[in-house]
Formats: sequence, C-alpha cells, structure tokens
Amino acid sequence: MSPASRKRPPVELLYLAVLLAYPLLVYPEDALFRLTEISIGMQLTYIFIYAILALGLNVVVGFTGLLHLGIAAFFGIGAYITGILTVPAYPFQLGFLAALALSTAGAALLGVLLGAPTLRLRGDYLAIVTLGFGEVTRFTLRNLEEITAGTRGLNPVPAPSLPVAMTVPLHWLGIEPDWSLDYRLFYYLALGLLLLVVVLLRNLEHSRLGRAWVAIREDELAATCMGINAARVKLSAFALGCGLAGMAGCLYATTLTSTAGPDAFDFNRSIIMLCCIILGGLGSVRGTLLGVFLLIGFDNVVAPILDGLIQGADINPSGNPLLTFSNWKLMIFGLALILMMRFRPEGLIPSVQIEAEMTKDLPGPRGIRAEAR
Amino acid sequence: MPALLEMQEFYAGYGPIEVLKGISIEVRPGEIVALIGANGAGKTSTLMGISGCLRPRRGRVLWESQEIQQLPAHEIVRRGICHSPEGRKIFPRLTVLENLQMGAFSRRDRAGIERDLVHAFELFPILAERRTQAGGTLSGGEQQMLSVARALMGRPKLLLLDEPSLGLAPMIVVKIFDVVRKLNQEGMAILLVEQAARMALKLAHRGYVMEIGQITMVDKAAALLTDKRVQDAYLGE
Ligand SMILES: Nc1ncnc2c1ncn2[C@@H]1O[C@H](COP(=O)(O)OP(=O)(O)O)[C@@H](O)[C@H]1O
Ligand SMILES: [Mg+2]
Repeated sequence: MSPASRKRPPVELLYLAVLLAYPLLVYPEDALFRLTEISIGMQLTYIFIYAILALGLNVVVGFTGLLHLGIAAFFGIGAYITGILTVPAYPFQLGFLAALALSTAGAALLGVLLGAPTLRLRGDYLAIVTLGFGEVTRFTLRNLEEITAGTRGLNPVPAPSLPVAMTVPLHWLGIEPDWSLDYRLFYYLALGLLLLVVVLLRNLEHSRLGRAWVAIREDELAATCMGINAARVKLSAFALGCGLAGMAGCLYATTLTSTAGPDAFDFNRSIIMLCCIILGGLGSVRGTLLGVFLLIGFDNVVAPILDGLIQGADINPSGNPLLTFSNWKLMIFGLALILMMRFRPEGLIPSVQIEAEMTKDLPGPRGIRAEAR
Repeated sequence: MPALLEMQEFYAGYGPIEVLKGISIEVRPGEIVALIGANGAGKTSTLMGISGCLRPRRGRVLWESQEIQQLPAHEIVRRGICHSPEGRKIFPRLTVLENLQMGAFSRRDRAGIERDLVHAFELFPILAERRTQAGGTLSGGEQQMLSVARALMGRPKLLLLDEPSLGLAPMIVVKIFDVVRKLNQEGMAILLVEQAARMALKLAHRGYVMEIGQITMVDKAAALLTDKRVQDAYLGE
C-alpha cells in the first residue's frame, strides 16, 4: 500500500458523514427542493440502490472479467420476487427482511442456473447469452400476466415494519416513523445496505476468492495452472453479482412500493449500469460508486432539471420530444464513454491493476478494450 | 524404482482433430526429461494432458502409481505437478509479488509459502528487484523467470516447463537452464519441452522425440545427441 492510499479512508468517511448528515439537516433538502422541485434525498436513495446493482455487476465484469449484458434481468427478478412475496394479492405477505433474503438468494440461484451451462463460453458468446436471457426474462415477466400482472407490475409493495424500539430514537432525530411520509427511512435503509455491501466487497476483494476472480480475469489458463477451480470461481462471481442485483431489486420495489413494469428492467438498464462501472473504473469499488453517482445522478437529477428549465423558458411550447433533454441522455452517455475511452480508458478511479496495465506500454497481453469487446 | 509419472497410451485432441495418438512418457524421481519435436507435434498438448487441462479420449496418466487423468486441473496442482505454460501466461496486471502469491494459491502453509518466496527470489534475484512492478511490464526474459518462479511456488515434485527459451536471448536461456539444473539437484523432477533441442538434451538425463502426435524415439539424452536422425532433424547439422 502506498502512503497515498493509506491516507484515503478519512476522505471516504467524510463523504459518508455528509451522506449521513444530509437528511438530518433538513434545510439543504428543502432549499434544493424549492429550487429544483426534485427531492434530492429521494434521488440519492435510488442512487444507493443502483450502486448496489452496479457493485454486483462489477463483481462479474470488473473483478472476474465476464461480460454480463443482462444484469437488469436479475434486478427485475429481485423486484418481482419481492412483489410476489409481499403484495396483498398473494397469500405470502412476508416481511421486508425475509423478502430481501429470498430475493437475493433467488436471483443468485437463477444466476447459477444461467451460469452453470454457459460460463465455459468465451467472452462474446457469454455476452450474447446474458443479453438474450435479459430480454427473455423481460418478456416472460410481461407475458405471465396471471403471476406478474403484466405491464402493470405488482403493487402495493408494503413498507418494512419498524421495530418498536426504533420509534423513540427516530422521534429524537425528528424522523416520522411512517415510510410514506418521510423519505428518510428509505434513505437510511438503502444507505445502510449499501454500506454493508461495500464492506463485504472490500473484504472479498483481498480474500482468496477475490484473488481467484482477478486471476481468471487476467488469464484463465494460467489461473487453472495455479490450482484455481475456474468453473466454480466464475460461478461464485456470477452468483454474488446476480444476488446483489436481486437485493437491489428488492430495495427498488420496496422503495417504489411497486415492482414497476417489466420494461424498467430492459437492456438499456443493463447498459447504463455497465456504463457506470466503465466510467468509474472496472474492477474498482470506489470507481463504481463514483460512476453510479455521476451517471445516475445525471439521469435522475440533472436531466430533469434541464428539462424543467427548457419547459420554463417556453422554448418548446409544442412539446417537441427532440427539445427535451432526457431524450438525448443515451447520446450523452455514449459520448461520455467515447471520450473516456479516448482520454482515460482505465476509468476515473481505476483498480490498481487495471491502471498498471493501461498506463504502461505492455508488450504482449491483451488490454481491457480487447477483453470488453 | 517406480516412475513418478507415467503417461500410458494417451489419446487426446481438439474437436474432430486427434493430436495425441497414443503417447507414452515416463518421468522417474530426480530426473530431467526433455521432450523435443517440431512445431505442432503435440508437445504442448502433452503437457496439458498431464496437468489436466486437456482430457484424454483414451489412455491413462499415473502419478505415484495413482490414476489422475480424470482429476480436474486444480486437484492435480495440489498433488505436486506444477506447470509453466507455453507463452509464460503471467498475470499482466498483477505485480510480480502477487503473481508469485497466485502460484501458491493451492497451499495454505503460510510459513512454507514465505520460505519458498525467499527461495524464488534467491533463484531469480531480478524478480526481487521488480517485486512491485506489474508482471506485464517485465521484459520477456523476466516474464519467463516469473512464470517458472510462479510454478515453483506451488511446491512441485514435478515441474512441467513448456518452451522456456522461446524468443529469449541465449544469455537469458543459459540463466534459466542453470536454475533448472539447480532445482533438479535439489531433487525436483522436470519435464522440459523445448524446440532448442541441443540445449535441452545437454541438460536432460533422458529425452523423447515427438512427431505429429506420436513418440518416435526414447533414449538417454547423450545418445539422442549423437543420433544421426536427431542431428539431421532437430540439431541443425
Ligand atoms: N486449442 C486448440 N484447438 C484446436 N487445435 C489445437 C489447439 N491447440 C493445439 N492445436 C493443434 O494441435 C496440434 C499440436 O499442437 P501443440 O500441442 O501446441 O504442439 P507443439 O506444442 O508441439 O507445437 C497442432 O496441430 C495445433 O494446431
Ligand atoms: Mg507448444
């Protein structure tokens, strides 16, 4: 560890402190809401949820080097498992924690079922299989109307029940103990889970398993020669990545109080998540978090604000869709990625190893661009 | 003395192509065995067959008198067969030290790993100097040394070396072969695949000559060196 990286933790703790304090201060949220008519706190909650999703994808793509183009399907599977287990239309009506555990486990299991026969495929083929699985899942969710309510989605997904012991400290913090009245409960729930996931991944990254993931990404044959069980290690990355996506899906449905429709989990969603981790830095937890913050922040906060400004300035009275900012966002994401690949291909905060590969002229080995074809 | 490794009538291939057509090779304890042959003869495939990366269609591999041909590659490493594959295959984005640590992946004896790390750095002092550098930034010779050192970190009883001299300056090759000799003097058995046939046969005790998927000659290395047919085909005389 270089001295620079040893000094970093305090900076991260500072970000965390800001995120923890933001809702409690009330004033900034109110002021920003008056200014933008967007609840920044609520949007941060969604950013935390997408961060869990992106961290899951990063385990598969970033750490292990398996191009997964259908992560949104597992996000959706988590959301729908939660929906089925909790909405009044079904007899189960489980609590939040049970739904969270089963959504995570269910998505992980489906990840294993998809991965077991396909993980021996190389690069491009795996990408196509996962892409196909993503779209098949979306159409299945849409067509199994008796189970999934088709395009309407399942709702209402009930809010988690608060333990009685929480009401007093919540009152003391000035938070309403009612999920529909106070966004801050969801905010802290999502932030808390995100923290758990970050700590888990930070530990895994330096564990035997984490090193095996990276070795497989670097060179699968050599990894096998080192005594790594490549099939099992890849499957574990797939299970964890898809499981985290399912966990994010459960949180998403709970926060939204609905599973949303199947189209919320389309290929675009997978690609945007992939953009997040490429922008931030493949294989880097810190980079993934930054990438999500920038891209989803742009998508959910900056774009609507610009839309509002355009609307307010009467530039677009006839409602021409080309004159709304949101319709250009994929174009802008694409442009951002092209610029990244040109000027900083290792991402904003690259993993140490990928940076080493990208910034020095290596003789033989393939670069990440070749790998991420 | 019973053989350490015995490959018996081993057939294997890729898809419809059969590239190993009944290979039988034996390595005895403490021996350096050279496997020479032209490009495409199947030398690399033979090593892959031993290390479990290529499945046999017929035939057996006996290791210390037990069949291992059906074991997965990671189990075979645990039994003491370590492979420095063709083309080095180091982990380009991991540091030299991390590469070596990956070599010890199948082991859990921390103290032993630490000792072997020191030993690897003694054998290849340049790697100690480069320990924090990314593997991919090393020169070709250094990468080859890293590949050998990494295989040693698995504490092999049998070391499989696939063309360690490939593309390297003669001086570097001499250095690497010196290390191979030293390892052998410490008691390690070595199966050496080489196109640089003369050097390999000078180093080895015995040699096998391979042609398009079959073993065509077996003998003491010294005898092969003076054999007319070997000289004509592989020693460039
Ligand atoms: N992965 C593979 N797929 C298909 N054919 C292969 C593969 N690897 C090697 N071969 C073929 O098998 C034969 C033997 O190759 P190899 O074992 O690499 O020989 P050598 O190491 O002696 O040069 C060659 O004809 C080669 O083209
Ligand atoms: Mg070869």
